[in-house]
Amino acid sequence: MARERVLVAMSGGVDSSVAAGILVEQGYDVVGATMKLFCHGEDVPDRPCCSLDSVNDARRVCEQLGIPHYVLNLETRFGHDVVDNFVDEYARGRTPIPCVRCNTFTKFRDFLKKADSIDAQWIATGHYARVIDGELTRGIDENKDQTYFLWGIDRAVLSRMILPVGTLDKAQTRTRAHSMGLEVIAEKPESQEICFVPDGDYARILEQRLPANAPALAKGPIVNSSGAIVGEHNGFARYTIGQRRGVPGGFSAPMYVIAIRPDERAVVIGTRDELLGSGIVAREVNWLADAPKLGDEVSVRIRHRAPLARAQIVRLDGDEIELALDEPVAAITPGQSVVFYDQQRVLGGGFIEAAKGQRAKLPVLAA
Amino acid sequence: MTTAADPVYLDHAATTPVREEVFEAMKPFYGPRFGNPSSTHRWGREARAALDEARERVGRCLGARPDEICFTSGGTEGDNLAILGAWRALKAKGRKAVLTTPIEHKAILGAVHQAAREGAEERFLGMTADGVIDRKSFDDLMDDAVAVCSTMWVNNEIGTIQPVPEMATKAKERGAFFHTDAVQAFGKVTIDAQKQAFDFLTISGHKIGAPKGIGALFIRRGTAIEPLMHGGTQDRGRRPGTENVAAAVGLARAAELTLAECEANCARLRSLRDRLEAGILERVPDAVVHGRGAERAPHILNLSVPGTDSESLLMALDLRGIAASGGSACQSGSIDPSHVLAAMGVRPDLAGAAIRMSLGSLTTDHSIDRVLEVFPSLVAKARQLTAAE
Repeated sequence: MARERVLVAMSGGVDSSVAAGILVEQGYDVVGATMKLFCHGEDVPDRPCCSLDSVNDARRVCEQLGIPHYVLNLETRFGHDVVDNFVDEYARGRTPIPCVRCNTFTKFRDFLKKADSIDAQWIATGHYARVIDGELTRGIDENKDQTYFLWGIDRAVLSRMILPVGTLDKAQTRTRAHSMGLEVIAEKPESQEICFVPDGDYARILEQRLPANAPALAKGPIVNSSGAIVGEHNGFARYTIGQRRGVPGGFSAPMYVIAIRPDERAVVIGTRDELLGSGIVAREVNWLADAPKLGDEVSVRIRHRAPLARAQIVRLDGDEIELALDEPVAAITPGQSVVFYDQQRVLGGGFIEAAKGQRAKLPVLAA
Repeated sequence: MTTAADPVYLDHAATTPVREEVFEAMKPFYGPRFGNPSSTHRWGREARAALDEARERVGRCLGARPDEICFTSGGTEGDNLAILGAWRALKAKGRKAVLTTPIEHKAILGAVHQAAREGAEERFLGMTADGVIDRKSFDDLMDDAVAVCSTMWVNNEIGTIQPVPEMATKAKERGAFFHTDAVQAFGKVTIDAQKQAFDFLTISGHKIGAPKGIGALFIRRGTAIEPLMHGGTQDRGRRPGTENVAAAVGLARAAELTLAECEANCARLRSLRDRLEAGILERVPDAVVHGRGAERAPHILNLSVPGTDSESLLMALDLRGIAASGGSACQSGSIDPSHVLAAMGVRPDLAGAAIRMSLGSLTTDHSIDRVLEVFPSLVAKARQLTAAE
């Protein structure tokens, strides 16, 4: 009986390395691959993800595990699906979440095709999430749970995914790395940054890719919620909802960015109260479970690691959804994701289009 | 499914195993004859004798005199020493141009770019769709401003043979230096420095059964060259550093064996390659063989199957125990689109599907059978996946 083949996406980090190691222990025919997603050129000599060092670490781990390792060049597609979109979103005054699109398009679509081409029935990653009976489920480690980034994948792919570290917490993962002898990567620091923005300075990427006169990077007014100009900013793309840095002082209460109006190049600031929203409109909704019905209650998360909030589905319209929150939530940010949960299960998610100040009412249904 | 017990190595253009005879010839120099050839005592003399002899033997293999052979670490060093050494020696004389082809090995292209950073004018010859230089563009570009012209004899990706002797003669007439990268050509075409007019010629050991880390640059007697490194006086100061005696002996042995077997080996490889090519075309009729209309060295087959991509196909081949290669591998190990195919005007989708199979000592009839059995099925699978998109 031939062993089942699994293609593991290996970043050179501890999570995907241990994932590969566990699969080897479980007797799979494991093939490791590192995706080359972008090239820093000579700009950035060494960064936690996708750099040459990361490729080398992944290769070294594969050598130790005794499995083949390949580098797959997905630069063009990643550039189109993820990086271009990232830039466009900021240019539209939104705050994108590239990891979601990378999972949706790069890891669990393009990478999956590579698995097909080598007759690998399975693909695996180092995500802290689980697939239980074909359902995407939060990882054991609540702190590390990465389901927030996984809502966009094709539901059919779930049946081919193995997420070996989803049943571990981070400390256990590191312990496993040591016991596998993977000292090269066992204590590698966590990467919190967006992989193609290695120094966290995303504005630099925008400056490189947007025209010099792009409105998103041009001076504009900072206004308060009643429209009075209270300051000037150096490009609305440098702001995100909820941000305090770069917001003028001298107000009686702390002020936050509460909205971005790209048409007027305006950054709107307001108090903590004004940052609250009671409803969410989301688009490009994708379901990983049977879609709930109008009026159903779900738990939602509006940013990575944010607490879950309860909400009712008040509108369902193709791939658009509107939710009414039981309690107001701060900093509902267009471009970020809203992910729907039922307990530990991920039901689906979508990209936040707008926050609603008022709680929408469920339409009266015809009898 | 992976047949590691039945591996097929079709990447001889990348490297070859060290031949048993070569390994044996080298052994004494890792043992009792360990001396430094620069030393004046007995140990030094023994090493020196071996080095001198190796230099003579490599020279004979190229129709060259011993002092015209400079041992290097391999092809990249030889190419750099020739291009930069000649350019730096000549630039004061008002010849500012370096003429080459867009299908050279990166060692040449990199050295030419470096010369450009030092003030050279880069000139690139036009290529035909079959991967041979366009003679008219050569006549147009080869003028009195050219310091060095460099053209690889046999292309490493597609195997096409360039008219090197003819170009060398013309370059000489215009007073330019002519260099050829003969790394893939040695043992595949007739090389004779007495009859052919090239000034520099690069060979590499590990492509012909000698170890990695040794090569030689032919430098015609009387040709000015600036060394790349500075220090000792080894090799007339052209290449300072204690000589790699064992590897030089290995290179000499490998070169002699290669030449002695040249005719039989080429006939054998050509027949295997032609069978492989015909077999694939029979099973995959729309496969495109690159350089097919040109004269090609017998050991290289480069082809693209529409609707596939190199990366996936190479991975699938490797997992079935068949080693081939794509374009030039970049530092990270990912496969970048071939600059050679781009220069020939090959469509990007086809260039991205290129597979190079290079034959050599390890290739047998059985290897070809295996590829003809596996390759078409992988192609069919890949196309099925593409069609499903």
